[in-house]
Amino acid sequence: MNGSGTQLGVRRSTPWLFLAPYLVLFITFVAIPVVYGLWMSLHNWDQFLPEKPWVGLENYTQLFTPGSAKSAPFWSAMKATAIFTLFSVPLLVIIPLGIALLLNRRFPGRSFFRAVYFAPYVLGVAVVGILFRFMLDPNIGAFNYLLSKLGFAGDTPWTTALPWAWISLVGMTVWWTMGFNAVIYLAGLQDIDRQLYDAAEVDGASRWQRLRHVTVPGLRSVIVFVITVTLLASANMFGQAYLTTQGAPAEKTRTAIMFIAEEGFQDFHLGSAAAMSYVLALFLMALSAGVFFFFRDREEAR
Amino acid sequence: MEAATAGRVPGRRAGRRTSRETLRWIALILLTLLYVAPIVWMLLTAFKTEEESALTPPTLLPTEWSREALDTIFSTSSQTPVIRWFFNSMIAALGNGLLVLLTAAPAAYALARMEFRGKRLVFAGIVATLFVPPIIFLAPNYEIVEALGWLDTLPAVIFPLAASAFGVFFLRQFFIGLPKELEEAAILDGASRFQVFTRIVLPLARPALATLFTLTFLTNWNDFLWPLYVLFNPEHLTLSPGLGLLQGANATNYALLMAGGLVASIPVLIVFTFAQRYIIEGVSRSGIKG
Amino acid sequence: MGRGDLTRRELLAAGAGATFVLVTGCGGSPREEITAAKFPGGTSYDGPPLTLDFWNGFTGGDGPQMLTIIDAFTKEHPNVKVKMVTARWEDFYTKFPAAISSGKGPDVAVAHSDQLPINAAHGSIVPLDDLVADLGLSESDFAADVWQAGIYQDRRYGVPLDMHPLGMYVNTKVLKDAGLDPEDPPKDRASYEAALKKLKSKGIQGSWASPFLFTGGLQFQSLLWQFGGELVNVDGSRASWNEEPGVEALSWMKSLIDNGYSPENIGQDADNIAFKNGESAFMWNGAWGIGDYGATEGFEWSLTQLPQIGTEKAAWSGSHNLVVPRNNKPDADRMQAAKVFIDFVTQSPSWAEAGQVPARTSARESEAFKKLEAQSALAEEVPYVRFPPPVPGLADVRESTLDQAIAQALGGGVSVKEALDDSAKRANQLLKFNHEKYAA
Repeated sequence: MNGSGTQLGVRRSTPWLFLAPYLVLFITFVAIPVVYGLWMSLHNWDQFLPEKPWVGLENYTQLFTPGSAKSAPFWSAMKATAIFTLFSVPLLVIIPLGIALLLNRRFPGRSFFRAVYFAPYVLGVAVVGILFRFMLDPNIGAFNYLLSKLGFAGDTPWTTALPWAWISLVGMTVWWTMGFNAVIYLAGLQDIDRQLYDAAEVDGASRWQRLRHVTVPGLRSVIVFVITVTLLASANMFGQAYLTTQGAPAEKTRTAIMFIAEEGFQDFHLGSAAAMSYVLALFLMALSAGVFFFFRDREEAR
Repeated sequence: MEAATAGRVPGRRAGRRTSRETLRWIALILLTLLYVAPIVWMLLTAFKTEEESALTPPTLLPTEWSREALDTIFSTSSQTPVIRWFFNSMIAALGNGLLVLLTAAPAAYALARMEFRGKRLVFAGIVATLFVPPIIFLAPNYEIVEALGWLDTLPAVIFPLAASAFGVFFLRQFFIGLPKELEEAAILDGASRFQVFTRIVLPLARPALATLFTLTFLTNWNDFLWPLYVLFNPEHLTLSPGLGLLQGANATNYALLMAGGLVASIPVLIVFTFAQRYIIEGVSRSGIKG
Repeated sequence: MGRGDLTRRELLAAGAGATFVLVTGCGGSPREEITAAKFPGGTSYDGPPLTLDFWNGFTGGDGPQMLTIIDAFTKEHPNVKVKMVTARWEDFYTKFPAAISSGKGPDVAVAHSDQLPINAAHGSIVPLDDLVADLGLSESDFAADVWQAGIYQDRRYGVPLDMHPLGMYVNTKVLKDAGLDPEDPPKDRASYEAALKKLKSKGIQGSWASPFLFTGGLQFQSLLWQFGGELVNVDGSRASWNEEPGVEALSWMKSLIDNGYSPENIGQDADNIAFKNGESAFMWNGAWGIGDYGATEGFEWSLTQLPQIGTEKAAWSGSHNLVVPRNNKPDADRMQAAKVFIDFVTQSPSWAEAGQVPARTSARESEAFKKLEAQSALAEEVPYVRFPPPVPGLADVRESTLDQAIAQALGGGVSVKEALDDSAKRANQLLKFNHEKYAA
């Protein structure tokens, strides 16, 4: 069927015709930018100045030179991204699973609950961002007021000091996307063979044991999917920090993406921004590879 | 044997069952409150005056239901045309979704079913970019979009995002999983590849296409960073950067901010109420093939 | 090896090449184009009806006021309509050059005086020397400092519209309740600190030190000048805010928190809201507060000059300037209409009602202005207002270094000296970089 490339009904050009529309988009907006971005990163690139002097690897080396103007804020931003990812991913992997288990049986109103928990994702990050900016405001926010009425401290600086700002950002992200992950888990749960559960019950397994030995293994690929998607989403977090904390306090919640965008568009250093994005990309690719590696190993061990 | 009748044994077992059921319901209801309360709060604040929205301590219900904030949003000379932003977002997300289907489906089919020289290279190239984080594309795509004259226009938020490799990857997986017999039979009957694709394969692919469309729509709807920098004129903004605009320079009118959020949310929630089954089912299928 | 392969490779290469050429080929050389565009002479517009696109950042209380001025303008010049578009100032300065360079810029816009140099260097705005000559404007028509602030590399890039200095707002009710006289607000360090002490004894944290640019950053700059310091050296290549005056300034601000006159970790705008809610007494804020507090029902306040905490009098001020963006296809009619618009707006006394201090002397000395108590109080600062120096990119450098240092020091994580030194060290690299980049 290969070799000369002829099959029934396929002219040589047919595959290319099928691919063409996509390839036009792909080449213009994916393939070329990857190379172009690299090219930009080797220059001092201000889009509004006619000259863009070549600087070689300077945009990269200055990130690794302690004490340089860019290295401190860059690594601080990377650290912010790392902190956020570290705390949000486990919560967004485990809590939605719990919710999915809660919803995983037929009972009246189930689709209502499912819809309610999913709804914030449909609202969009902008609505959620401004809503929480308002509710979590340390002075006029409803949340602090509620806390004070319940007898707790009513003046926690949820959006203006650490570690509260992190708790706020992680919390609102969980509120926003928990339903999304839960829905994916629900579908995965429904794919697990009922008979496996019955067999386990016959063996006298407790609920917890059933969870560990039937549910979780049955959800393996879904869990990997959720972890990967959530990991990448968290590492690319921008909207929540931009709208709710504005990077405060003192830019400590300014994520890598925020900083790169500021560097490129506000400070007009597109070359430096491009270089930073490549460094971030390397980290993310290593992270994704790590996740796949970690889970693939286990499977072979079985 | 014992286990098989577990549900029907009265006494302690059943008692534990009902208390577990009750706990389950309590958890669900508490969670629902957690989800509904902020939306209600947003609604109540939208009807307060600017001063009342910033009071400490906050008032629960507006002392006087004011239409001030909503009037500002809806006024025609408004600097904050939230309705316009809503429509821009809608057009962008729908356009993006359709474009993805139109381009990714045939491409995925070619990669799934056809043999041709360079196929492996093309597929590898496309899949490789799945692992490239989107931030890489920010600066160069900005320049490219500018060169195309698309800055500050809706094509800028429709086309670049449609080039994502996910659609092709996802649909190819699906097409590979389809049984070949139907297609092969049609070819033997003299149908062209194109006819096989449109008459046989696409109808079978409806669930996958729906899933892809839903995911693409939601991703575009939630996109924030890119529209923030490629759109300027308030009339051309989509919801994400637009709502950020409602936060004032030196002082924020929170009633206005919440009113903007409300106006952005209501239509979405209405559509969602009717279409939630399809949307949620679309999303849930995305994780299965992984 | 087959035809298909070559065709594909060629196609890819051609596509890549074409897009590449397309992208890098654009851009041109803005500098030459600027000198080519000239304003037609005269002071009136007699051309065909048109609509000017007018961009600014007046998203707050000053927006509606500007719209009123525009209405008055259109009544006098019926064939020039003006369409105003606003964005947050932050976003405005990011998008302004991009819109202009892609041909979607406005016909006239407002920019702060400290943003003129970078926009001029980017070729986003055109020199206005012949425009002001046509309108017969010169330094004598304006306050000297604000007129000078519009010059970059010997050319004028902005016509000053107003000045908005930092002033001290006073919650008169809170002062009265604490037993202080609101008619006699503190004018120097000793009396200010005494007042704060008295307020504290009544349970009021009188003067909040905000870690954000609005208002802590502006407060710091005012204090820096008050203690005799400068932001940068003469040619803008080195920071000097970490020298003795800066340390004194920031230490005094920190002392407000340490002495209990201000809470810690204040959120953005929280100080403003607290002031309006009667939780504080003094608010160092810009002229825009006039509109904000004036619109707050039942709020009793007054405005006075900043107290002199340092060794000399000084007050930070910004200035809105009217600018004309570069147009790739210069249109004489639009340029003329823009000129007439600029003339009208700068002379309008009603802009002062938005809480600004008019830059034009005639507007400031008018009866209408003198009736505005609050604005007149601010106008008394005119002899000693200070503008940030015209160094391109200084605003961005300051934002990513000095502003952060202020927030860090006030947050208590770092000592004042350390924060200032560290930020200056990083700023120096950026300033040197900018200095070379924009040296053309």
